[in-house]
Amino acid sequence: MTRLLNRWWEFWFRPAEAADLGVARLLFFGLLALFYLPYDFSGWGDVSRAYLQPLWLFQNLHLPLFSPTTLHAMQIVWKIALATAAVGLLTRLSIVVVAVLGTYLLGLGHNFGQTYHFDALLVLAFWILAFSRAGDAWSVDTWRRRTSHPGAAEAQADPEYRWPIQLILVAQALVFFAAGVAKLWTSGSEWFVSNHLALLLQRVQYNISDADPLVSWGSYISTHAWLYHGMAIGTVIVETAYPVALFSRRLRVPMVLAGIGLVVGIRALMGPTFEHFLLINLFWVPWHRVVSAVPVRARRPVAIAPLVEEPR
Amino acid sequence: MSKSRLLLIHLLIAGVVGGSFYDIVTRQEHWPFSNYPMFARVHRSPVLSWFRLFGVTPDNREVPIVDHTYLWPLDQSRLPIGLRAVYQAEGNGPRLHDAVADALRRYEQRREAGLHKGPELRAMRLYSVDWDVVPYATNVDKPKSRTLLVDVPRENRQ
Repeated sequence: MTRLLNRWWEFWFRPAEAADLGVARLLFFGLLALFYLPYDFSGWGDVSRAYLQPLWLFQNLHLPLFSPTTLHAMQIVWKIALATAAVGLLTRLSIVVVAVLGTYLLGLGHNFGQTYHFDALLVLAFWILAFSRAGDAWSVDTWRRRTSHPGAAEAQADPEYRWPIQLILVAQALVFFAAGVAKLWTSGSEWFVSNHLALLLQRVQYNISDADPLVSWGSYISTHAWLYHGMAIGTVIVETAYPVALFSRRLRVPMVLAGIGLVVGIRALMGPTFEHFLLINLFWVPWHRVVSAVPVRARRPVAIAPLVEEPR
Repeated sequence: MSKSRLLLIHLLIAGVVGGSFYDIVTRQEHWPFSNYPMFARVHRSPVLSWFRLFGVTPDNREVPIVDHTYLWPLDQSRLPIGLRAVYQAEGNGPRLHDAVADALRRYEQRREAGLHKGPELRAMRLYSVDWDVVPYATNVDKPKSRTLLVDVPRENRQ
């Protein structure tokens, strides 16, 4: 029992450097701010209610569907909050605003016609970060604190900088795992032994996705059984086994790269817009090592080891 | 780390992990949690049946409404699936008519605002379209069959 508790503690709370969380926060919110900058959520405000199929969240919380004007105002606040969360200005408040408004704005479209899955993990990450101390490093807040208190010490390695990263990565692993389990549970081995993937790759050429495939290679793949069978088996293996990346140092890098490859492959060959889902992978990077490596980079290459190490 | 802080963090862990597993095990979706069922069901038929909107131009040509700028933020997945859900729930009734009328209104509003370069439309039609699926979708303009479900003229859009 003690051993189990120790492993639990090691996994979630082994002290980590503040830079790991701080740099990830900076890049995550910064890139999201850039990604969503041109996106206009106000268009949902005048979509016909005939399409409405409320999400349980909107239904149970009695969330109203706001007018285009209100949505426009909300998205301005949200985008500013994304930017301030990125630079670490009033970090906690900024991330709470990102989480609250982001849950509404990102969830809004899913009330119409179909629930997409590319932003759900982002919302979970917002809420996890809202409870974290993500502004303790690489933030304007820290800079201002040090300016006003010149003797203030830098943030030391602390459990507070590990658990948010671990929880986001666990949530990501469960997304892949769920997708793999859903395939096996719904269709069994038929998912990869039949020509299902070939048909799928051909169907998406008929403009049926939220975006069209970036390339038409899916059609080529669909005519080569060894290719689509191999891809189907690879997909199920990577998805179902993805959680192993949380525990195995040896398999971590290949699994994370395979997961990125899956998402890129889905976008390129099938269409669904999962680009921003990829940003979650920023939390795999041990940023304190990257940062400390930068000045000596010219002299010697520095291997980037995974952040989450195996329990000792 | 204080005890209350530790408790809060564990509640958060339990919420995220528990919510995820609940949806996986019960095969339900409670956004932002989900069992991620996309593409899980095996397609056995080489025929693709899809709801598709076609605009009718003043010279009576029918143009497929597939450009993503035409009806934004509705897209080619959300829109047909939403229309199919309405049709399956209520048949060819007023709600389906309203949804198609909204698509026509949205298309024309966006065209007049210069947000897309599609032709002017005098009507919007919803078809159920069947294709024999082939590589590169070379028959996308020649479906196997089409069934007209709703025809909404522009005059009636309000």
